Amino acid sequence: MSSPFVVLPIIFQLFLAVLLMFCWTQKNLQKLISVVGSLVAVIISVVLFAAVWKEGIYTTQAGNWVAPFGITFVADTFSTLMVLLTTLAGLAVSVFSVGSVRNARIKFGYFPIYHFLLMGLNGAFLAGDIFNLYVWFEIIIISSFVLITIGGEKAQLEGAVKYVTMNLLASVVFLTAIAILYGLTGSLNMADLSLKVAEIENRGLVNVTAILFLVGFGIKSAVFPLYFWLPASYHTPPPAISAIFGGLLTKVGVYALIRVFTLIFIPDEFMINLISGMAAITILSGGIGALIQNNLRKIFSYLIICHIGFMIAGLGIYTETALIGSVFYLTHDIIVKTTLFMVAGLIFKIKGTYSLRLLGGFYKEYPKLSLLMSISLFSLVGIPPLSGFWAKLFLIEGGLSVGNYWLVGFILLGSFLTLFIIAKVWAGVFWKDSIHIPVKMQVKYFHELKPLKRQAMVGSIIFLSVLSLSIGFGAEYVIQVASKVAESLMNPQDYIHAVLGQTN
Amino acid sequence: MKTLIFKTASNYLLPLLLLFAVFILLRGHYLPGGGFVGGLIASIAFVIHSFANGLETTRKIIKFHPGFLMPVGLTIALVAGAAPWLFGMPFMTGLWMDEPIPVIGLVGSALFFDTGVFLVVIGVTLTIIFTISEGL
Amino acid sequence: MLLAVLSGFFVALGLPLIIKVFKGPNTLWVSLFPLSLFIYFISKLPAIKDGETLSSSWAWVPSLGIGLDFYLDGLSLLFTLLITGIGTLVFVYTSSYLKGHIYLDRFYAYLSLFMASMLGLVLADNIITLFIFWELTSISSFFLIGFNNDNEASRKSALTALSITGLGGFFLLTGMVTLGYVAQEYQISALATLSEEIQANALYPLILVMVFVAAFTKSAQFPFHFWLPGAMKAPTPVSTYLHSATMVKAGIYLLARFTPILGNHEWWNGPLIIVGSITMVYAAIHAIFRLDLKAILAYSTISALGILVFLIGLGTDEALLAAGVFILVHALYKATLFLVTGIIDHETGTRDVSKLSGLNKVMLPVGIAAILAAISNAGIPASFGFIGKDLIYEATLHLGNMGYVLTGLAVITNVCLLFAGFLAGIKPFIGPLPPAFSKLHLPPATMWVPPLILASLGMVFGLFPMVVDTALIKPIVSSMTLGTPTFELKIWHGFNIVLLLSLLTIGSGIALYFILKPSEVLFAKATRFEKLSPESAVNQFAKGFVSFSSKWTNFFQNGYLRYYLITILSFLSLLLGYRLFYGVEIYVDTSTLSDITLYEAVIVLIMAAAIFFTVFSKSRLTAVASMGVVGYCFCLIFLFYSAPDLAMTQFSIDTLTVILFVLVLYNLPKYLTLSDTRDRIRDGLLSLIFGALISILTLEVMNETVTKDITSYYAENAYILGKGKNVVNVILVDFRGFDTMVEITVLAIAALGVFSLLKLRLKSIEKE
Repeated sequence: MSSPFVVLPIIFQLFLAVLLMFCWTQKNLQKLISVVGSLVAVIISVVLFAAVWKEGIYTTQAGNWVAPFGITFVADTFSTLMVLLTTLAGLAVSVFSVGSVRNARIKFGYFPIYHFLLMGLNGAFLAGDIFNLYVWFEIIIISSFVLITIGGEKAQLEGAVKYVTMNLLASVVFLTAIAILYGLTGSLNMADLSLKVAEIENRGLVNVTAILFLVGFGIKSAVFPLYFWLPASYHTPPPAISAIFGGLLTKVGVYALIRVFTLIFIPDEFMINLISGMAAITILSGGIGALIQNNLRKIFSYLIICHIGFMIAGLGIYTETALIGSVFYLTHDIIVKTTLFMVAGLIFKIKGTYSLRLLGGFYKEYPKLSLLMSISLFSLVGIPPLSGFWAKLFLIEGGLSVGNYWLVGFILLGSFLTLFIIAKVWAGVFWKDSIHIPVKMQVKYFHELKPLKRQAMVGSIIFLSVLSLSIGFGAEYVIQVASKVAESLMNPQDYIHAVLGQTN
Repeated sequence: MKTLIFKTASNYLLPLLLLFAVFILLRGHYLPGGGFVGGLIASIAFVIHSFANGLETTRKIIKFHPGFLMPVGLTIALVAGAAPWLFGMPFMTGLWMDEPIPVIGLVGSALFFDTGVFLVVIGVTLTIIFTISEGL
Repeated sequence: MLLAVLSGFFVALGLPLIIKVFKGPNTLWVSLFPLSLFIYFISKLPAIKDGETLSSSWAWVPSLGIGLDFYLDGLSLLFTLLITGIGTLVFVYTSSYLKGHIYLDRFYAYLSLFMASMLGLVLADNIITLFIFWELTSISSFFLIGFNNDNEASRKSALTALSITGLGGFFLLTGMVTLGYVAQEYQISALATLSEEIQANALYPLILVMVFVAAFTKSAQFPFHFWLPGAMKAPTPVSTYLHSATMVKAGIYLLARFTPILGNHEWWNGPLIIVGSITMVYAAIHAIFRLDLKAILAYSTISALGILVFLIGLGTDEALLAAGVFILVHALYKATLFLVTGIIDHETGTRDVSKLSGLNKVMLPVGIAAILAAISNAGIPASFGFIGKDLIYEATLHLGNMGYVLTGLAVITNVCLLFAGFLAGIKPFIGPLPPAFSKLHLPPATMWVPPLILASLGMVFGLFPMVVDTALIKPIVSSMTLGTPTFELKIWHGFNIVLLLSLLTIGSGIALYFILKPSEVLFAKATRFEKLSPESAVNQFAKGFVSFSSKWTNFFQNGYLRYYLITILSFLSLLLGYRLFYGVEIYVDTSTLSDITLYEAVIVLIMAAAIFFTVFSKSRLTAVASMGVVGYCFCLIFLFYSAPDLAMTQFSIDTLTVILFVLVLYNLPKYLTLSDTRDRIRDGLLSLIFGALISILTLEVMNETVTKDITSYYAENAYILGKGKNVVNVILVDFRGFDTMVEITVLAIAALGVFSLLKLRLKSIEKE
């Protein structure tokens, strides 16, 4: 089905960003626009998701040029699910930003760039054209780079340089891959590519091209051995920014990997082994990396890597069941990781440090906040029936069904490490007695903030925690969505028909 | 570099180059040119002027912060892109006037879009260069 | 039944609030909650006795076949009664034990949470639901063990307990998913009929390993047992409830529940017998050298659990009967002893058994409870323990030759256990009362009544076994064997070898009690071998793992951008090279390529020279200028291939870039050479390899014939549909206008970035 409003989630964010640029110096107005706008964006994406869920895939051809000649945007269940999650996390982070981002940063374009980033994310999910996807990646890189650097603190800049260098490398690899693919097929439309790549007789060349895509997206999604930019940069920016990064940035890479390797390049045996091997070592590297960290945000950063491994493992197993697992995990992880980084930010605002050794006494001093934070911590571990649990069922079953026992072993190892690490964090931050931490001059502590700001920070965490609880307890509904996604990923005919029309 | 000749020349060069830039923008649809190149040329015009007369003088001529051109340009591009929605057509569908306008030729939404590009490019380039020169 | 299980969760959530409202020192009323559950379950007793089973279900995640399905049969009834019955007593006991504790509300909440999880675990009729509740017991016990959270040892043992049981949990998950995958059935009550198919499947050994590890970790079997003595850091009510009566029996429950499904196979029986017997002997011997009352009880509990695993491993009807009885026997006397220990600790402030004696004089009812429990533990005739022990010996004796060895082990274990029981139950209460304790008095009734009830039950069941025989024990056995059991619990079997063995056990145990006096010296001697214990092995392994972790992490995440890039590019080159040379037939068809013109050759040479300058120049300005030259050469190439638009754009961009660079260069520090020759050669080599690979790939792609329908569509339709003669521009603003819009957004963001980066410097002292 065709509807010109498929691109609305993108255009609306652009509209917000431009509007915010006009209000450059009015910080309160900016906050209002961002929050209200994010709420409207959620409504838009809910409507889009519902429409796609009921009536099937929606497409639009920008400029009204028939596919594959123009730029196609496709809203299928997978992409609208991702857009929905993006806007939900986006709303929470927008509210959290109101509470936690310094006014100086707001006066230098924090909010416009934040909405540009959301625009880029939505664009990447809805793109049905591989070059257009590249362009969205550019938006994501440049806006996230600016968000990391904004404020110009030394640690921020150091992280930002590593971040941008490696991500630009990823873009170069991705662009090379597109050029070569265009040379092979003469097309950029992903549905069209799906058909054309299948027809190419020289499979060797297709396989080489696939490697370029794997590495390009692999850097983005932070898999082993391409993840270095993530631990180097995620602990440096302000909490709100690392929250949206932790929740969404790597997930775009995962989305692209899943999309490209189910639609365009159907993996051969070598690729399957390669991806599952990378997944396994990614899980290991992330898990043991988190094990030895002391900084709360570094722990969570490494855990992101570990859990990216879970999602990639679904792709490596390459069955419908395993993909359900990946999609479910993706859903859970976007919400929970965003919350976790906000939780880390809140802890910092209260205590003035991220160090596990120095922190303590939360349980005694803030029992209600502790309860709230425990939701996201234990959801991450996947204590059943919280949200992290369900996906593993599918991944394990998928792994067993193809006889990939060692990958299942790594998934269990990753789960165990996560459990241990979170229990350690719990014992360290919440149980341990607090010791005296010298007051830092440059930190504006939680208790010094205006009540509205405090409510904004806590409120956004409550919002996402409730979401992750509902993912856990309402697993049935998420599974239905994930099953539909996985089914259409494994059988892309509907996608192709929706883009190119029934006649092709 | 602030020689008298250069200064005087740049004062005349600025309007000429700007005119040329607009010309490049307008003819883009038919001959080499377009908003992007046009914008770059216009920016170079201002840059030359600022080198010759100092940054402050150039700023006075522009009157507002060049960064302001970015949201303006983006708005124009956005409106040009979204206009077809009113007619139930996809984003960025080309809309064309029935009759050509003298000198410029047939005008369509693409030209508005290109104007947006033109303005954004000027805004971007000047913001970057002015900010960096101020930092020195 | 659904409500009975879930009520605990609601109570756990609501309790802190309710307790806050009914502010008062007395929290005895909270015990009404477990009591009502106990009454509910005991009311089901007649139905179960008649061989019925009850079930309820509520679909939760139907697409996975997961529901809150509960099923009550003999086995689960026994456990529910233990959980709610002992639970009630523990709740009562806690109201005095932790009276006035500021976190008493949380404690009750965790306790209710645990009780509900445990009920869910033993009632679950779905293997995944079973796992869910299993994990919940691990987590709630984590919070209970770490209840004294300002104590570091307490936190550490909570972490250890969670790690071990959590590890077991993941094994259980895998086991259950595998089982579900193999049988395509998640309902436990239905799985028993599929037993043969499951055991014939190639994945059967995997399921077994998974289930075994899960059960062994939870029920503290060798070599995973060490978390249990550590978990004794928890407040005594927790030790009583979790670590003797209920949670540690979850592993036993799991094995018992799966006996009809997975059992009756040598791979099932063998490992269980071996692990069970090692555990029972190992822990029993450990128990007799301890001084801390709780440690004695912990090790004797491990040993008792070993006996249970061992009995289930034997798998005969007699052994299963013995197991069923022993679960009850053990729960009754061990819970009593724990509660008594709590009282002693609470009143005297010490748990060192060598310092305790004569307490009978100040707290007689407590002493009576303890002594009765010790008697039942010893298996002295007329106690319930006697029946339990008889059944164990009967089960082992009927196994033929192998049976004698096993009986011998059982005797050794029982002798040690008897000794440990006397140490914990009798030693503190008889003999002279040390003067330090003479001022002690009897604790409130809420503390001494619960152990007395439990201990008395142990005697009542012993004297009148018919009370529990048909009502409880038979249904248990029938749910494990799926048959109708034919036996009768009797107190007197006549003179036979079993009786002799019992008497031998009692005799040597009592003798041991008089010979072996607990002391520091003995304890020190016994702990000499700790270096070889599984606990230190695990600690060693953990230490090694952490050091491996930091080596691995620091090796890859070394902080140097250059190494990151080298790693990424090497990885990419390796894969590209592999796939290129092992999958593509490399050839270049020169005939299809056009000839190289002089201009092209010259420009390429200039570019090469410029690149050379850029790389090797020692001045930044030269490098930037050379880069500019490369850019202008590109312009020329665009021009040659008749792309004036691109040339024009490239030209302007390059000019601006050079201007920018020159502006920035003034601000940079002096040029430094940071890399030595070797590094440069390495980097150069990698660049060459990567460049060569991409070039080969490009050449190969050019060999492919491609239908250029899109290119020609653009060329043909630019004027007709796009109303423009300049194809490039029409592509930019129309065919692919959306990309252009996004790109100008990229530019705008970049400009904002430059602006904020240079203008906004957060002052570190400025507070905002």
